[in-house]
Amino acid sequence: MLTRPEALQLVLHRLAALGRELGKPELERADEQTRLFGETAQLDSIGLVTLIADLEEDIRRATGRDVVLADEKAMSRLTSPFRRAGLLADHIVATLGAMPPA
Amino acid sequence: MPLALITGTSRGLGRALAERLLAQGWTVHGFSRQPDAWAPPGFVAQAVDVGDPVAVRSAVAAITAGGATIDLLINNAGAAAMNALLLTPPEVAADLIRVNYLGTFHCLQTVGKAMVRARRGRIINVTTVAVPLALEGEAAYVASKAAVEALTRVAARELAPQGLVIAAVGLGPVDTRLTKAVGAAPLARLNQRIGRPAGTTIAEAVDFLLGHALDPHLANGSIHYLGDFPPA
Repeated sequence: MLTRPEALQLVLHRLAALGRELGKPELERADEQTRLFGETAQLDSIGLVTLIADLEEDIRRATGRDVVLADEKAMSRLTSPFRRAGLLADHIVATLGAMPPA
Repeated sequence: MPLALITGTSRGLGRALAERLLAQGWTVHGFSRQPDAWAPPGFVAQAVDVGDPVAVRSAVAAITAGGATIDLLINNAGAAAMNALLLTPPEVAADLIRVNYLGTFHCLQTVGKAMVRARRGRIINVTTVAVPLALEGEAAYVASKAAVEALTRVAARELAPQGLVIAAVGLGPVDTRLTKAVGAAPLARLNQRIGRPAGTTIAEAVDFLLGHALDPHLANGSIHYLGDFPPA
């Protein structure tokens, strides 16, 4: 299980790493309001896919749980959990919380 | 030491591919539906139904848990059936889609994520010459493999920016258990149509498939058919 601050830390850490890889220093200064996807966002669809793939592995390492962040429920929500860093942290906590005990 | 994951390694082409890569120094993980007692050095078998996405995720996680990266995925597991279109039982059509298309989809998606994390990797999907031939009597099978080819092309475009190369290799009748149920006459006609009247041995199929899979210049999204076909 992850607390909300721990989940946000994972997201921001991964965004910073992606920022270094993609040459986007703005991502290294990301906070919970940073837009991940959309017109004014820092990531394109490829970057978002990379972020999610990396984060799923980060979560597995941190918790031992095999999670799928982009499931049907998440993709069909009115407010996308991938819109902002903080929403993604909320989504990670909710996804782990909804899983049956290991 | 490079690491390959091959589906359908309990027999036939999958087993032969594993043997060849092991001989070349690869570590090979194999998925087969039933537990596989085959255990040469460097080979790790897991019983996995590739049509079950949860089972696929769990099995792939077991491979990558220690930090291993998968260099090559060969989606070889497959089912075949010959039926006149109007007499094909719906269960047969559903099973072909489940094993051939969804099995490839689940493995590509799960291993694709691991390869995206590594920013590199190569995926080869096994298809069939029956697709370009639009082979009569194999409508459900051909449709399931045509879906695999479409998946290959789209996946290649989507994942190229992250360093992945994805292609498909289409084989004709290979001397395996999968073709045992087909009569000698239809097999001979098909082999004639693809310019291989003597048929194709497993060793020749392995040569062809791995020749493309390990080609450093393999074109992303390309589909290569064994026999007399123009490049796709």
